[in-house]
Formats: sequence, C-alpha cells, structure tokens
Amino acid sequence: MSYKLHYFNVRGYAEVSRLIFAAAGQNFEDIRYERNSEEWTKHKNEMPLGQVPVLEYDGMKLPQSKAIARFLANQFHLAGKDNFEQAKVDSIVDTLYDLVAAFIPVRMEQDETKQKELAKKFFDEELPKHLKNLETLGKMYSNGGSFFVGNQLTWADLTFYNFTDLIFQSNSDCLNNYSWLQNNRAEVEKQPKIAEYLKNRPKTM
Amino acid sequence: MPSYKLTYFNGRGRAEISRLIFAAAGQKYEDIRIEREQWPALKPKTPLGQMPVLEVDGVELPQSAAIARFLAKQFHLAGKDNLEQAEVDAVIDTISDINTAWPASSSDEALKKKFLTEDLAKHLQNLETLGKLYGKGGHFFVGNQLTWADLRFYTFGQTCIEAAPDCLNNFPWLKQNRAEVEKQPKIAEYLKNRPKTSF
Repeated sequence: MSYKLHYFNVRGYAEVSRLIFAAAGQNFEDIRYERNSEEWTKHKNEMPLGQVPVLEYDGMKLPQSKAIARFLANQFHLAGKDNFEQAKVDSIVDTLYDLVAAFIPVRMEQDETKQKELAKKFFDEELPKHLKNLETLGKMYSNGGSFFVGNQLTWADLTFYNFTDLIFQSNSDCLNNYSWLQNNRAEVEKQPKIAEYLKNRPKTM
Repeated sequence: MPSYKLTYFNGRGRAEISRLIFAAAGQKYEDIRIEREQWPALKPKTPLGQMPVLEVDGVELPQSAAIARFLAKQFHLAGKDNLEQAEVDAVIDTISDINTAWPASSSDEALKKKFLTEDLAKHLQNLETLGKLYGKGGHFFVGNQLTWADLRFYTFGQTCIEAAPDCLNNFPWLKQNRAEVEKQPKIAEYLKNRPKTSF
C-alpha cells in the first residue's frame, strides 16, 4: 500500500509526518508544491478542503496535519502502546500545537517594532509557561526515561523536536534552563534513521 | 472496569463532548463541576493549570481533545480502524480550526458580523464536504455509524445556532446529521436531563 504526502516545499505542518516516515523507515511519495505556482493552483481543487498537507492512502485523501501524523504514527507503532499511552501522547501534541499557535503571530508580524514587542512577551512569559507544562507532562508520563511517554520514541517526541526547531530560528537559547527537554531532543537526534533523515532532508524553511 | 472522573467548570464548553461520549456509551463517571470561585485554588493542582482534566484510575490526563478521543476509543465510538479514526480526527481538527477563526467576544462588531454572515458558511461547507467524502452515503460523518465526530459537531452546532439561528439552513446534510444524533435514545435522554448552563 503506497503513501503520498502533498505539501508545499517547506517543513511547516508536514515535517512531523516526514519525520514519522523516516523513523519508521517507510517509503512515501514526498510531493512538494511551490507556493503560488501553476502546479499548486492545478492541484488545489483536488484537495478535500483546498489545503495541504493531504495524505493519500488506499484511495482516500486525508487533510489536517495532526490527523495525518497520528494516522501514520499508529500505522508504524509510534503512537503509544495502548489507548491510555496514546492519549498521553495526544495531550502532549495538543500542548505543542497550543505553543505553536501562540508563536505564529510573533513570527508572522511584519512591523519591526511590534514584532520585537510580541517576541519579548512570547519568550519572557508565554514560552516558559508552555515549556514548564511540557516538562511536567514528560515527568508524569515518561516512566523515568528520556522520551515523553512510556520510555520509547513516539510522535510526541518528533513533534516537540520539530516545533522547537522552528522556535530556535528566533531564539536558539530558549531551552537553556530546561535540561529534561534538551535531553529529549538529543535522544531524538541520536536515533539512526532520524539522524540520517536530518542530514539529507531538503534545506528549506 | 476503570473509574473515570471528569473535572471542568459548570458549563458545556470544552467538556461537553466527553460528557456526550460517556452518555452515548452508557458509561458512569464522576462529573465534577467547579464554580469560578473554586478555580484559583484548584488551578495549581492540575497538570497544566487548565480544565478539563480526566482522571482514569487516579492518573490525570489534560487537553479536551485527547480526553475525548481516549474515551471514544474506550467505548468504540472513534471509528472502526486506523483510517476511519483518522477521518474522524480530520473532522475534529476542522471544527477546531473554525473555533480558532471565530472572533473573540472582545473583537469589534464588524469583524464578528463578517464572520457570522460570510466566513462561517465556508467553514460549514468544508464540514459537509468531509461528511460526504467519508460518510459512505449515510447521515454520520464517518463510516455510516455514530462516532465522536458527530457528537462534536452536535455541540459545535449548538454554538453556531445560538450565534446565528439560520446558519445551517443551507446545509441540509449537517442539519440531518444533528437530527440523527438527537434521535439516539441514550443521547436524547442525556440532552433532556443535563444541567442547563449559560455556556
């Protein structure tokens, strides 16, 4: 059964799924559209909600980045070993998406003065709150290990890795006071298939 | 049989989907409702300083969608295989996107009016599209049987209708979907008896 992932030629909301495919050692068609291209305009109407990412599998088209990533994680046993573990993973992913939702307006702000103001508020107040929450959940659910849930790699770790990559572009020191979270990222990077993928992936935003 | 305790404010809000899932499953649980004055003392004791929180045999789980999905899977209301569960999740995330786009009550009136008269219809069209794509010709969003996608749309639909009473008039499939949910005997019973709250 073949997998096709449609997205723009950036990391963005598809990169977690690409990381899941990599961790699983699963081949897939990594379709990348340039924004504002004729190619994208042609294909946009084929997507259920006129948006990407979309996963094509077994004749079905699936939109929504979180739903896609969770589906793939479940396919490749990277979602948690039972329903409750999977729920713990989901709660961490939701907390990460809350964090990114708070970060996007900061990143997208064009006015330089306003951007500096928003960035200060985000990095001084908003981000520490979320990082503390993530460390709390990691300590609650990790069974004493380095991964977020159940002492093994799940897509919670991959999502955290990916989203912190994004935030590092604005502030590379933001995890300095969070040793558990730094260690978690190091464990993800060490996974051979992930290390290989990170070395070879297209260099894009 | 695990013991379940759901803690939230005394309102529908982000917990109602889970209460509907318990009701549809005929599953007993402790439905703890916190008054606003009690919240500041309780807040630091919750994992993320937020509600709802689900306690399962003493272990706490935050995040309303994670809670609801866990319960739906426990009670076979999540979709019959991984792909159907993903289709359900896509509907859930699309509803979540509408909530994100919905202007806050503090926004200016022009923005709120534009959303209700123009944007909301486009979002509802997206939901109808998914229902027709995944519903196998039936009335439910996914796979011709009740899932938490239908229960979630039911609660969301109530919010829409309260803000704009005729918002579903051009969406007969969505209207029919809510009618099917209301007809389910355990849901009908629950809707009749649940506390009447302002949110």
